[in-house]
Amino acid sequence: MKIRRTDQSPSLRTYVVLFLMIGGYFLLSCALWRLQIAKISQFENRQRTQSLRRVRLPGIRGKIYDRNGMCLADNRPTYSIALFPEGVRRSGGWARTIDHAMEIMGEVSEITGLKPNVKRSKIKNHIRCRLPLPLILWQDIGLRSMARFAEQGGGIPGVDLYTKVTRNYPYSPYTSHLIGYVGRANLDELKKTKDFSYYLPEMGGRAGLESLFDDFLRGEAGGKIVQIDVSGYRFGELARREPKRGGDIRLTLDMEVQLLAHQALSTNRGAVVVIDPNNGDVLAMHSGPGYDANLFVPYIRSKDWNALRDDPCKPLLNRAVAGVYSPGSTFKPISGLAASTVDPEAIHDIYDSPGTFVIGRRVIRTRGHGKVNMREALKYSANVYFFKSALDHGWECITDQATAVGLGKKTGVEVDFERSGLVPDLAWQKKTGHGGWTDGDTCNLSIGQGFLAATPLQMAVLTATIANGGYLYRPRLLQAYRDPGKKNYDPAPRRRVGKMNWSEEALSVVRGGMYDVIMSKDGTGRRAAVHGLTFAGKTGTAEYGIKREGKKHTWMIAFAPYDNPKYAVAFLIEDGNSGGSTVGPRMKILMQGLLAKMTREQGVGGGGGQRSEIGGRRSEVGGQRSEIRGQRAGGGEWIQALENQGGEAAQEIGNRQSKIGNSHGGES
Amino acid sequence: MIAHLRRFDWTILGVILTLLISSCVFIFSAEYQSGNEMLAGKTLRQIIWGTLGTGIYFTVAYFDYRKLKEIHWWIYACALLLLVVVFFCPEKSNAHRWIPMPGFDLQPSELAKIAVVLSLAAWLGSPATDVEEWITFVKAAVLSATPFFLIMLEPDLGTAMVLVPVTIIVLVIANLPLRPILTLIGVGIVAVIVLAVWLRFLPDTCPILTDYQKSRILVYLNVTQDPLGAGWNKLQSQIAVGSGGLFGKGYLKGTQNILGFLPRTVAPTDFIYSVIAEETGFVGSSILLILYSTIVVRCMRAAIKAQEIFGRLLAAGVGALIFTHSFINIAMTVGLMPITGLPLPLMSYGGSFMLSTMVALGLVQSVYLRRRI
Repeated sequence: MKIRRTDQSPSLRTYVVLFLMIGGYFLLSCALWRLQIAKISQFENRQRTQSLRRVRLPGIRGKIYDRNGMCLADNRPTYSIALFPEGVRRSGGWARTIDHAMEIMGEVSEITGLKPNVKRSKIKNHIRCRLPLPLILWQDIGLRSMARFAEQGGGIPGVDLYTKVTRNYPYSPYTSHLIGYVGRANLDELKKTKDFSYYLPEMGGRAGLESLFDDFLRGEAGGKIVQIDVSGYRFGELARREPKRGGDIRLTLDMEVQLLAHQALSTNRGAVVVIDPNNGDVLAMHSGPGYDANLFVPYIRSKDWNALRDDPCKPLLNRAVAGVYSPGSTFKPISGLAASTVDPEAIHDIYDSPGTFVIGRRVIRTRGHGKVNMREALKYSANVYFFKSALDHGWECITDQATAVGLGKKTGVEVDFERSGLVPDLAWQKKTGHGGWTDGDTCNLSIGQGFLAATPLQMAVLTATIANGGYLYRPRLLQAYRDPGKKNYDPAPRRRVGKMNWSEEALSVVRGGMYDVIMSKDGTGRRAAVHGLTFAGKTGTAEYGIKREGKKHTWMIAFAPYDNPKYAVAFLIEDGNSGGSTVGPRMKILMQGLLAKMTREQGVGGGGGQRSEIGGRRSEVGGQRSEIRGQRAGGGEWIQALENQGGEAAQEIGNRQSKIGNSHGGES
Repeated sequence: MIAHLRRFDWTILGVILTLLISSCVFIFSAEYQSGNEMLAGKTLRQIIWGTLGTGIYFTVAYFDYRKLKEIHWWIYACALLLLVVVFFCPEKSNAHRWIPMPGFDLQPSELAKIAVVLSLAAWLGSPATDVEEWITFVKAAVLSATPFFLIMLEPDLGTAMVLVPVTIIVLVIANLPLRPILTLIGVGIVAVIVLAVWLRFLPDTCPILTDYQKSRILVYLNVTQDPLGAGWNKLQSQIAVGSGGLFGKGYLKGTQNILGFLPRTVAPTDFIYSVIAEETGFVGSSILLILYSTIVVRCMRAAIKAQEIFGRLLAAGVGALIFTHSFINIAMTVGLMPITGLPLPLMSYGGSFMLSTMVALGLVQSVYLRRRI
């Protein structure tokens, strides 16, 4: 047996071992350094991605008002009962949590008396896809259910009241073609802009102004960061950026006039457009039948949608801008004015207007009026007068004038689905294979028949241009807009685009003819006459389709009061009998309403200056112009507007696409 | 008595108490859920175990360790017996690791570790043993290999593995010839490499290991990520540690743990270090490393100053035990080693382990109290 060496080298070995062990700890601290200092961002990111979720909060949509501040598109709070999954969680499989959620739903159902309408599969789907968010069990519950829930349901864990905002259109059937509607926003589009984990149901403009000004109205979305636990339940909210309000817009529309238009059109299919001839403001634009835009919020049921789509009356069609019709005799004032542009003496022309007229091999039968001048021809709507006039002065001046006054082009008003209509000419005829231009085409054109087609809005613009002495305004619907957070509205620009080259004399003859149409005992529009209001107009009856079916669209255009026009109206009824008999009485209803409105507003109705000889022969240079000025001295705004804008370069009327952008270009 | 107090190693006691207190503090954090401010559950039990452990620590410290020389074989036999008995106890989480006792579950492998250190120290320290003989080496290997295999059969690979470095360190310090030890280490390393390569390329044919163990090792080798399965704990623990940064997120603000990404079952036990690292950052986790280093240094100091070889080996063995446990636990937390269910001494929640650690450290104090000078 060896003698043990007790204590020399062992302590060396001990030191070595200790050194190695301390080295081990040092190695660990290096690993810690690498993880906690060098690669911290990587792990922080991983931690964020697994425990944080970004939820998009939709912006608060701006409102739409009429010119007097009536709200046409509003936000309405709705109360729902929502299930918060983290409040009903059960350990164990998901099935237990779902079971529990169903139990809770049953409990709430008993308290509130609402039928459970969320299926098990929907809860399951929600838990799988949107666990950190509440699930709406009952949408938009009534006050009674809400009261019951508030009283007895407060103690139930996992369910609570949930407030949402939905869009509401208080005047919907009367404004739906203009305002349009919102629907569920397109998520794919939203997802492009910013990366959120969850999107709440969000409204986006789908039609009408809601769609055209969607970017402006929508507001800026906010967001919140929700912290979730390992199972995906909501744990808490870390940060929140409140959504911002969108801008408001104010329309030129006057709800009073709009409702009058609705009342006047009644249940007929057709359209009424009322424009302020002094600036092109659209005061009313009604198309009937309408539809309830509230049906579309937040989404339309397929049953309702099919009913609207399959309705033979086409309620979705905005006839005021998307319906094109032959203007018929309402076009005759332009024919008359056109002749005067090539021959100033044309206004004195007198033509024999018999009941039959032969062009080539065609014999046109119409009503005979004997020898008439232009004013009488307008009053009686004598077709042959305009045939002969057009044949004498050529058709080109008519197409030129029609185009100049805005037919055949979109007006660019802030309404969607606008159509351009058509002013046929030789080039168009050749291009579309209708052969060369014949005298028959000239005759058709002169009385607003044939291929000529216009929208009621275009006809209203035409009427306004005659009413105000030849000043052409592009119609506008947007009066002003208010950027989010601002108190005052910024006005949208008025759009005077030019002046027609109509002589004062020609204009006075044509206006006189239109005066007679209404005011004369034997005028075609006498049924529209309103006691106490002097106004002028023109009837029109446009045949369409196969001749022997005798289908007719009936028209009337009018402006009132005659001396100091405030309203220019185009009134169309589809499939009527004749302009005078079908539209006349309806126009009367509208005019009565407008008279009452004017009387109330300033006590200066059209009745003030019952002048028997207005529009007669007034040959002094500038006479009528000064006359108009003189008469309008009271309504200074009109003159000022004219003078302010007189020097402005006329905008290209056809440049309609950029217009919407221009009109609210400052918004973004 | 006064003499005793003067000779007492206050440093190691201070470190131990610091660790015990932080243990309770952070187990509370690991259990914490908002609105639950009560001292309850594991925190309370850990306080009780800690107090009990401290009592045992002093008892053991005043007990003269040299008396153990007489009875160490009995202790060893008792530990082996318990390791056999454990197989007749009901299975829990697919393993026979615990013997149910009134009030707590006894984990015989904890006792076995101390028993192995004790027996190795006593036997190698006895003048009758010739450490130069190669048969000594074989006998020592058998002495620790028997409980090693029994523990591995439970199965509890992690705890079993702890015996290997502890045995080696005791053998080295006992002045056994280095060659067989180094050979053993070499063979072990080769075996681990072979096993790793085997697992890497032909995991299905690999013997010995269970599927569970295989998958954990595969995750460690980065063969599979399996972040939702076997790789979950590793990934989440790394995220917890990594997102802590320099100063951490603050006490009770470790989101990995509060949100449950660090599973609640392991956060207060095997992964308590992740919780601390997330909440106190690099600064806090480094301080913890320094505290463990201090314990190890004080153990080795006790070993160097010990009156006789038995004491030296005993203190060094306990130091090795603490080191191995803490190193493996922290290394797995930061992703340096495969996940093994090995607790962090003095920090992790657990009664048996707390008591056995305090007994072991008490022995070191006992050795130190009875040092030469």
